[in-house]
Amino acid sequence: MKRHLFLLLGLIVFSGAVQAGGKVVVYNWAEYIPEGVVDAFTEETGIEVQYATFENNETMYAKLQLQKGKGYDVVVPSTYLVSKMRDEGLLQPIDQTKLSNYKHLDPDMLDKPYDPGNQYSIPYLWGSTGIGVNAAAIDPATITRWSDLWDPKWKGQLLLTDDVREVFHMALKVLGYSTNTQNAEEIRKAYEKLTELMPNVLVFNADAPREPFLAGDVNLGMIWSGEVSMAQEEMEDLVYVYPKEGAAFWIDSFVIPAGAENVDNAHKFIDYMLRPEIAKLTVEEIGYATPNLTARGMLDESIANDPVIFPSAKIIRAGEFQKDIGEQATTLMNGYWEKLKSGM
Amino acid sequence: MNFRRLVILLTLGWLGLFVLLPHLLVVLTSLLSADTSHLAVYPFTLESYQRLWAPIYAGVFWHSLWLSGVTTLICLLLGYPFAYLVARMSPGWRNFMLFMMVVPFWTNSLIRTYAIKLILGSKGLINSLLLATGLVERPLQLLYTEFAVIFGLVYILLPFLVLPLIASFDKLDKNLLEAAHDLGAKRWQRFVHVVLPLTMPGVVAGCLIVFLPAMGMFYVSDLLGGAKNLLIGNVIKNQFLLTRDWPFGSAISVGLILIMALLLYLYYLANRRIQRKGGLHDEAL
Amino acid sequence: MRLFKWGILGLVFAYLYLPILVLVGNSFNASKYGHQWMGFSLKWYAKLLQNEALMQAFIHSLTIALLAATAATLIGTLMALALYRYRFVLKGTASGLLFVVMMSPDIVLAITFLVIFIALGIQLGFWSLLIAHITFCLPFVVITVFAQFRDFDPNLLEAAQDLGAGEWRTFRWIILPLVTPAILSGWLLSFTLSLDDVIISSFVTGSDYEILPVRVYSMVKVGISPEVNVLATLLLALSLVLVTIVSVLTHRRNPQS
Repeated sequence: MKRHLFLLLGLIVFSGAVQAGGKVVVYNWAEYIPEGVVDAFTEETGIEVQYATFENNETMYAKLQLQKGKGYDVVVPSTYLVSKMRDEGLLQPIDQTKLSNYKHLDPDMLDKPYDPGNQYSIPYLWGSTGIGVNAAAIDPATITRWSDLWDPKWKGQLLLTDDVREVFHMALKVLGYSTNTQNAEEIRKAYEKLTELMPNVLVFNADAPREPFLAGDVNLGMIWSGEVSMAQEEMEDLVYVYPKEGAAFWIDSFVIPAGAENVDNAHKFIDYMLRPEIAKLTVEEIGYATPNLTARGMLDESIANDPVIFPSAKIIRAGEFQKDIGEQATTLMNGYWEKLKSGM
Repeated sequence: MNFRRLVILLTLGWLGLFVLLPHLLVVLTSLLSADTSHLAVYPFTLESYQRLWAPIYAGVFWHSLWLSGVTTLICLLLGYPFAYLVARMSPGWRNFMLFMMVVPFWTNSLIRTYAIKLILGSKGLINSLLLATGLVERPLQLLYTEFAVIFGLVYILLPFLVLPLIASFDKLDKNLLEAAHDLGAKRWQRFVHVVLPLTMPGVVAGCLIVFLPAMGMFYVSDLLGGAKNLLIGNVIKNQFLLTRDWPFGSAISVGLILIMALLLYLYYLANRRIQRKGGLHDEAL
Repeated sequence: MRLFKWGILGLVFAYLYLPILVLVGNSFNASKYGHQWMGFSLKWYAKLLQNEALMQAFIHSLTIALLAATAATLIGTLMALALYRYRFVLKGTASGLLFVVMMSPDIVLAITFLVIFIALGIQLGFWSLLIAHITFCLPFVVITVFAQFRDFDPNLLEAAQDLGAGEWRTFRWIILPLVTPAILSGWLLSFTLSLDDVIISSFVTGSDYEILPVRVYSMVKVGISPEVNVLATLLLALSLVLVTIVSVLTHRRNPQS
């Protein structure tokens, strides 16, 4: 009987290891890829995809650190983590010659300060964090600024995304500071401003901020642009507001960790995702903006002109893209964040 | 190597490698310095323990204690009568009841916690009922509150309290109850003076199994509490998976272990006291 | 008094089962949200089967549960034997360590596992998960089997020894058959604990071996996911089948139990 056990054990352990065509391990935000794309990729290339998800940048970063950049082949961090991870040697350069679809990308989205020349990252989707309002319960015209959320009449009713940088972005903007400030004094003031907001908060959610809206538990709060697009299918009354002080903008990019084992397959996967049809599908299903210019041209009018997905240049200028703020400021902010979350 | 030696080696080997050594390593880690790239480095320092005394962590700690305490109390209030009743049933019914208690565990507790959201939400079961019967005009905010967290904790931990309690009731010597009855004691008196003291070890054991784990169940406070009002479990998790301050996370864990040791010691004392008073022959581990 | 009795029993069971019933009910609910009944449908079952990632995580969790339960039962039975029958150095420590594992909050255990796996250089994944699960199931197996050992008739063992049976044979042919009910209970308990585990699994899992709690955690935060309901129902059904098998086996061996 013991022998059979070992046999069974062996079979199970080794069944995963043998795969023609190899595999690629992808680590992405939850719900951040259209259904069927992964399967289609596997069908076409014969490469098996192992897909894992995370809820926020910090968790992903911690996991990667723990495994010293090994274990994953393609990861999708947000802007500010790309430069940080690169500086810490967690990433390897991406060979653009292997990406035949690179040319489809919007030059405006490339060569940004966080990754000059896009040596380490290829933009996947971009979006913003703004305010979500349930128009059936609250008149959206009354909500135009981040500071509106501080109104005491919203006591115990707000949703905030469970993301330290985004929540601080709100307070920093209200106080007129940059979201990328490293100034300890400014960060402290933002923390104090946030302590005034805490009584209004009902729930923190980083997986799917639209969920409490849909469930009827929340009518007002922070939310990501794509979440609103996705939610509008089921709940037409959900409205997205770009706050006057400036929304937070971010780009999520593909990167290849330094310890990736299937580098070639990683490039193939990224190249596949850069195909205009795939990028188009992604926008339609996930609701975020694609940096793929060709794909954007293929989109339906209603989507291409949807300000929630593709805001005007004016709105983008009013907002701010997030960057890495360095070790010290990050630690400081994390400390304040802990205090806020424990009710202090 | 004969069989006996192998078995002993296996026992000591496994426990030593996967229980003793890890615990020692955690204590060791708690004494190291934090480093975000390398998790924990020399030199040795007591810094992590000093940080434990900061008001924020004291606050989280007391809050966790409070939540755990309330959870344990509610489990006791619901569980004690329940165990009492079940223990008195015929073996057939009893086994059925025990079976029914265990069945919910076969869906992962995360999934069950999520199901509670369906019950407590604004459009959930309870609110729908309340609205339909006209008892309230607007849905009650049940979810994302402390109430929801306690509801969830009790939900997951209740069986853990009930099962040892039932075992404790089982060991109750019926003769003692009969003797008390013969001596003229009323039902209430029998309960207070015979049943209650003799089931104390079971009560304490059950409370221990509920109290400490409750403080660590971060996913309940995450899902049902709105991810605010951190529990100690959340703080530990964050130290390891988010902030990556391993020495500090280890220090908090060591703190928890010490509290556990303290509670167990109290349990041991209580047990000895009962046995000296001539009660059950309770086999301690 | 009657009212009180049924009231309490009813209340507790209602409390325990309401969420389960909601889950199972909604797995057949045509509506995605589960707030209203919109007709009977099996479409979520079909959807789950198509959700490869989730199915894979499900199978992984089951695999771990089956393997961990079996291994824990084997190792745990031997440990119980050692504690009951043999005298050896550090015997008290061994009991103590088992006790520690049983009483520690999951999160503390999770950390100890994380630390030792990193220290030993064991890559986080299938093996780390398996070892962790086996370890936290051990105390429960040991207690269950040990308790049955105590009900033993020591004369049986003495008779065997007098007849010249060595340790292994005594164990294999006398002890083992007599504690089989406890072993089966221990197995079932381990299986349950392994399936139910969330905290330890989320700490020691790796990228190449996704298990249910990790997968479900983000889905659950996303909110209403009918596939999760289906999953719960399937898990429940499967476990019920297993328990039936186990109790039939136990009954066969112990007709009067």
